[in-house]
Amino acid sequence: MLELLSYDFMQRSLMAAALVGALCSVMGVFVVLRGLAFAGAGTAHAAFAGVAFAYLMGLPPLAFAIVFGLATVWITGLMEERGRMKLDVSIGILYTATMALAILFIGLMKTYNAEVYGYLFGSVLSVTPEELRIIFGLSVAVLGVIFLFSKELYFIAFDQEMAEASGVPARRIYYMLLTLMAVTMVVSLKTVGAILVFAMVLIPASTAYQLTHSLTRMTAYAVTIGTVCAVTGVVLSSLWDIPTGPAIVLLATAVFFLSVLFSPKRLRAVS
Amino acid sequence: MNEGLGSVQRPIVAHPIIRFHGATFGFPGVIALKDISLDIAEGEFVGVIGPNGSGKTTLCKAILGLMRPLGGTLQIFDCACEKLQCHHRARIGYLPQKGGLDKNFPITVLETVMMGRYGVLGLIKRPGKRDRDIAREALSHVGMLEHETSALGELSGGQQQRVFIARALSQQPQVLLLDEPTTGIDIVTQHSVLDLIRRLHHDLGLTVVLITHDINMIRPHVDRLVLLKTRLFASGRPEEVLKPDILQQVYGKELVITEKDLIIVEDYHHH
Repeated sequence: MLELLSYDFMQRSLMAAALVGALCSVMGVFVVLRGLAFAGAGTAHAAFAGVAFAYLMGLPPLAFAIVFGLATVWITGLMEERGRMKLDVSIGILYTATMALAILFIGLMKTYNAEVYGYLFGSVLSVTPEELRIIFGLSVAVLGVIFLFSKELYFIAFDQEMAEASGVPARRIYYMLLTLMAVTMVVSLKTVGAILVFAMVLIPASTAYQLTHSLTRMTAYAVTIGTVCAVTGVVLSSLWDIPTGPAIVLLATAVFFLSVLFSPKRLRAVS
Repeated sequence: MNEGLGSVQRPIVAHPIIRFHGATFGFPGVIALKDISLDIAEGEFVGVIGPNGSGKTTLCKAILGLMRPLGGTLQIFDCACEKLQCHHRARIGYLPQKGGLDKNFPITVLETVMMGRYGVLGLIKRPGKRDRDIAREALSHVGMLEHETSALGELSGGQQQRVFIARALSQQPQVLLLDEPTTGIDIVTQHSVLDLIRRLHHDLGLTVVLITHDINMIRPHVDRLVLLKTRLFASGRPEEVLKPDILQQVYGKELVITEKDLIIVEDYHHH
């Protein structure tokens, strides 16, 4: 175990996992409370379509992941505002359309490209020093913005109209939240992959939701659960030689079910 | 002033802080409020009544600066509503219609009331001891200070309503705008919430605009009633507005005023 930690690649993957675990869990608090779960899943797949497009055209993958991710969240935001169609329907259409684009781009590639599949299923053990620097930079930027605007973000998660009415520029804050969510997806793509990234956003925050009645405590619990699960998942995957993404997500899922069983809210409701 | 019957608006002595002048509100193809001219003076207690779809909630959204007039003007605190800044909005404490509050939303009573400070503080600035003191004072005004650490979802409907009134008060507003504050709570609690609003109006010198369906409940409390039916139909002291001929024109039914000053539908009276 200690020998494992002495390898450079292992240190990098543990740091990447810890950063992504913390980032996804903080974002998850707002996503769960604001009811953006499905929109987030759609964004992750759109970002993957961006990666596939970039590999097809020989362009930088992360930049195109951001472009595709941002375009999707902003369109989602506009559709929610216009409200002509039920949001789950419109997101469902966007979600499948972007996934179809991703499959089309992969199909158009002349050779099999293992790196693209790394973004789909996650490959934290192959994170390069440069990728780690990007993950670090973007994670710090997103967490910094969330910290600065946390009171406004909590308020719009609770009641956006009430926030707007009491003098918070709620619409702009909502679009900022969508933008941060897209960046979070992109940052996490390489680590846990497009399919599982959303579990890292949803599960720690939903677990914390079971355990407390306070917003600040919910955030603290979510970050702790997310970071510990991500790091432990990487260690377990190396020790047992199993894929990392599923190890992290299944561990977090187990913790979630435990929290449901022992939730003080539920126990009180039953008694 | 307006085209409705019984247009008997009293001369306003105090400074008007909300001024509608020939203002029309709605969406393309749907006019919700037409050609409204109405002044609300500082320190007034105004009740807004009218049948379903008469534009009561639109009036509320207009006062909050969430809707722009399609024609005419609306001035709030001597500022055209199109130019209304966030700090103006913070001067109006708003109690929205009681919506479906998620019982499990992780928020304490004090955290809820603190949200009233967020618009006043402005972006980025973090609430401090002074803000917590103001929030606690607001809680004590509504008699809920001992519940400050309770989960909002565990309170009764009437208690939650008090907490939301405290949230509005923590903005230290000049105007308290209440949209159906007594809907969905039992009759004893309805009276205690109205007594509380009247006390806040009296003790804190707040201008109160209260929107309601319940004419009988509101009439003993208000200085002035505003009767809407897309247009401003009547505005004046309760006894000037609540006349059988005016009510029949607005509600389309024979409404009678009983010996005990209760307004009821005549068919029902005969039975």
